[in-house]
Amino acid sequence: MALTPETLTRHELNGLRVAVADAPNPDLVGVAGRVVGETMRTLRVAAGGDSASGDGPDASETESRVKQVPKRDSTFEFELPSKGDAPECTDEAADAAKASGTASKRRSETAGRFEAGQSGRCQGVAYVTVDGARLLSRPALRTEKTGDSLWR
Amino acid sequence: MGIPAERIDRLQDLAREATAEGDIDRAREYVRLARRIGERHRISLQRRFRRFSCDDCDAYLRPGATARVRLRSGHVAIRCLACGATARYPYEG
Repeated sequence: MALTPETLTRHELNGLRVAVADAPNPDLVGVAGRVVGETMRTLRVAAGGDSASGDGPDASETESRVKQVPKRDSTFEFELPSKGDAPECTDEAADAAKASGTASKRRSETAGRFEAGQSGRCQGVAYVTVDGARLLSRPALRTEKTGDSLWR
Repeated sequence: MGIPAERIDRLQDLAREATAEGDIDRAREYVRLARRIGERHRISLQRRFRRFSCDDCDAYLRPGATARVRLRSGHVAIRCLACGATARYPYEG
């Protein structure tokens, strides 16, 4: 079960590149970077930095670099490194999002937040838009909701 | 490999990276999360992960950075430099 748009909501979010497409707080819209932490109701996003940029220990949370974004009422755009070498952009709304009642929109409708200027941003990368309400769960329990768990 | 095992795998890499960047506390969060996932899904962590994370303070152990590894007679001693706990693993021969 690789990390695909279908499994994204049950998979590990830490380390993925994400952009906040919509949030109740206008200051958080457009925040983009790597996910560095997850709590039950929020994601911590290291905004503006690449994976390479090291910052101090958890003190960095209080700095402006790491933004804590509430999941509820937000929309996230995850960037999935895809193994297939499909040359064109894949652009999928997370399949699972249907179940939540709030349909997630395709990227074209939400006006992408990743800078269009990045060269080769379509190379081997899939963008998945997820309604934050789909992610409302304790990080460790998100995987259990359906499927592969040995429980039940 | 199911999703839980994959998540644990990913978290191990993340913890190693975070430690390399000097962010021990963030690595701790990753280690804790990985353990919790394993607990919930009845998966044991890989031996490499078990041995290179601190049982006492959950830090990810990188020899030379956050851990000291010594061969003693009959066992390997891995000391966590973050909290000072020592784990000993026996070997044959």
